[in-house]
Order: sequence, then structure tokens, then C-alpha cells
Amino acid sequence: MSKDAITIKDLHISYRTLKGFSIKKSLLKMKINKSEIFEAVRGVSFSVEKGKILGVIGKNGSGKSTMLRSIAGIFSPDSGTIDLHGNSVSLLSIGVGFQNKLTGYENIFLSGMLLGFSEHQIKERIDEIIEFSELGKFIYKPVSSYSSGMYSKLAFSITAILETDIMLIDEVFSVGDVKFKEKSYNKMKELISDENRTVVIVSHSLGTLKELCNEVLWLHDGKIKQIGDPEKVISAYEDFMKKD
Amino acid sequence: MITIKKFFNDIKKYFKYILYSTKSNLKAEVANSYLNWLWWILDPLCFMLVYTFMVEVVFKTKEQYFPVFVLIGLTAWNFFNNNITGCVKLISSNKSIVTKVYIPKYVLVLIKMFTNLFKMFISWGLILIMMIIFKVPYTLYILQFLPVLIVLFVLSFGISCILMHFGVFVEDLSNVTNICLKLVFYMSGIFYAISTRIPAPYNRILVNLNPIALIIDSFRKTFLNAHIVNYRMLGLWLIVGIVLSMIGIKTIQKYENSYAKVTK
Repeated sequence: MSKDAITIKDLHISYRTLKGFSIKKSLLKMKINKSEIFEAVRGVSFSVEKGKILGVIGKNGSGKSTMLRSIAGIFSPDSGTIDLHGNSVSLLSIGVGFQNKLTGYENIFLSGMLLGFSEHQIKERIDEIIEFSELGKFIYKPVSSYSSGMYSKLAFSITAILETDIMLIDEVFSVGDVKFKEKSYNKMKELISDENRTVVIVSHSLGTLKELCNEVLWLHDGKIKQIGDPEKVISAYEDFMKKD
Repeated sequence: MITIKKFFNDIKKYFKYILYSTKSNLKAEVANSYLNWLWWILDPLCFMLVYTFMVEVVFKTKEQYFPVFVLIGLTAWNFFNNNITGCVKLISSNKSIVTKVYIPKYVLVLIKMFTNLFKMFISWGLILIMMIIFKVPYTLYILQFLPVLIVLFVLSFGISCILMHFGVFVEDLSNVTNICLKLVFYMSGIFYAISTRIPAPYNRILVNLNPIALIIDSFRKTFLNAHIVNYRMLGLWLIVGIVLSMIGIKTIQKYENSYAKVTK
């Protein structure tokens, strides 16, 4: 029996004060505006074994990203538990903490340190990042002068050096032009298929999920509709989406 | 106690990032303006001239070494003011970070404060130069600078943390804080000396009850009047500052994971 890396029990997440509170509004209405409660995730339990890859599918607004962010520790769940068994976790997000007025080079440090690397670690890998990003001289130009493609290339290259036990991926597979798309997709595959790494992927590209995942979870309106073998769950999902 | 331990662990862990981010903020601020860093010097200098004109020419009041006098007031005030106004909207202005990665939120407060601290030190440098120009004698009392600064920093940190927390949930908190800050501005004796301009019992009450007035007054004693500062009152406000900081830290630790839900 292999060990579980992620264990989730009866997870509930709701957006309570989505609207925020305004002193002006409550003075005018003479009462505190009632907060709307929207339950994004309602009672989800599952576990992922160490080294396995779990794909998450479901239509827009079914709570996939919310769940992922709560596993990453950005949200706290309203009830239920998330046990990561002491593994380090990171949500793969692109361009976190970028200062657009600064150069690409400085932004590698800024973003990298925010993602939890030490200055030393980044220095060790900076050449690798710059080379991977294919930016050449532009790395010493302010990020605000980059084209959108160059921006995402740089951002992807920084995240591609992430090395945590658990990786959470929200729709980022490949960026840039055709050539870089293939390169980044391959890099992603390399990262994902590391034996010691547990991965949760949220995606709409079902073909990719079929290829990569060991297991697929189908979320519908915040609840698990199906979980299990990728082929079976994905075909059931496809049938369901056609009917809708 | 767990709260405090976690706080110091977080600071240790993120300290390099705080420094790097502070540096980046400062760099970004000057990246695309013509006069670049010159603004950090010109800004306090110009306001000093404006207040000197207003007080000495328009209101015809006299204060010894007035330009330096007002510059000290402005320097301390700007630090406090910029921290508070910056921190009320801190979470929404850092939305891209907050919604994507976990970071202890007081790290953001400290980045903001360090940025302002750097600018304040430029201003203090300016004051030392102005003291030479206006022939203000340098005395050993200048050493009192550090303890007063610590009181200012701790107090600002505590208030900033608490306001940052409420700023997430109350949309128009910045309107309220701006009005309050304006009031405090006029009550802190930035361009007048509270001790001589306000009648007898009230001046002492005001200086002791308004920490900013006390701090500005202490800075002036340090640089201009060569006088010992009121350590007892400063100590009292330091304790208040520490208590506020602890409340702030505790509140942030308890609720920071729901900030991302609100700032959508």
C-alpha cells in the first residue's frame, strides 16, 4: 500500500461576504446589508496517493478552482479537513508578484522569492530560467515593454523550476507561440511525471487529462459526481455535456 | 504565545523577500519619472517652503529655526500618514498576489512600511543638512532619535495591521481614515508648537494623548531644543503600540485566509 499525499474529508467552502460592507450603504439603508452565502464546494472527500496524478473536470463554476486554492492554503475551508501529510504544496500560477516597471531579470527574483525560493536557489538556476524563456537581451528590459507572449514565456519559465512535493495546476499547460507551446508542454509533462510528485490538475482539455492522469474527479455544483478511471469518467462527462 | 512565535518565524522566513520587494517598490516608483529619485528630496523640501511661507509670511508667527522645525514635523507625519493610507487598501492593491499564493499578510504591511521608512531616512538626512545651513548646534541629544523612532514604528505597525484587516471588509474605510488623519494632522502641531500656541492645561493633555504630537515633539527636542524627551509617556505609548500590534497580528492570523474570498 502506498501512502496518501492528500486526504480531503467533507470539504465545504462558501463565499460569505462576497459583496463587502460599506459604511455609506449601511448608513443609507439603516441596517447592515445581509451577506449572501454561496456555497462553492459542498462536501467533497477524496484522497490522492503519493506520486499519482489526479485530473479534475467539471463545467465553469463547479468549484474546481476554489477547491484547488483551498488545498494550496490560500482559502481556509469553512468546514472539513485538508491533510497534506506534511508535504510542501504550491499552486502553479503565472506571473505572481510581477512589478511591470522592473526588468525581467529582477522579476525572476521577485516572483521566485514569493513562491518560496531563497535568493541562493534562484541564483543557481537563473541561467536555466533565462535560457528556457528564450527572451535573450529582453530579460534586461522592463516587463512592461514585453509582448503578451514574451510575458507568459517568462512567467512560465519561473514556475517551471518549482519543486514541491505537491503541485496544483489550474489550466496552465502551455503558453506562447507554437514552438514554445510544445516546449512548455513537454516541460510540464516532465514536472508532472516525476515519481515522487503528487499532482492535481484542473483542465478543460480532456485529451491531455486522458493522457496524463491516473484518476479523474468530476465535480458538479460543488459535489463529486464521479471519480475513478480517466477513460470512464471523461466519456461520461462528455455525454453529459452534450446533453446539456 | 503561539501567535508571536509564528509571527517571528514568518518574518524570518520572508525577510529576504521583504527586503527585495521593498527595493523593487522603490525602484519601480522612480522607474519612469524624469527627476527619478530627486523627487524624494524635492518633495519634503517643497512642502517645507510652502509651510514656511504660510506661517512666516501669511500668519506672521515666529518660531526658532522654523524651516527645520516644520521639516521634522512633516517627516514624522508623512511616514505615519503614508503607512495608514497605504495599508487600508493594501489587500486590494495586492490582489494579484493575495489570490494566487499564500503569504502572511503582515509581510505586505512590512514591505509598505519599509518603503516609507527608506523615504523617511532621506528626509532625516535632509534635516541634518538643513541643521548645518541654519546653524542649529549638533548635540548628544540626537542619540534619542532611535528610541523615538522605534515608538513611531511600532505604533504605526499596530494601527496599520488593524486597519488593513478592516479595510478588506469595509469598502469605504479609506474615506473615514482620511478624515480622521486630517484631524490628527492639525492636532499634532506639525507647523506650530503645541506647547506655546495652545493654552496651558490643554497643551500638555494634547501632547500626551495624541501620540503623533508626542513623537513630533520628542523629535524636535532631540534635534532642535537639545532637551531630554518624556521617556515615561513614550514608554507608555510603546506599550500601547505593542498591544495594538499583537491584536493586529492575532486578527490577521485568524482571518487572513478569508481575505482572498472577499477581494474578488
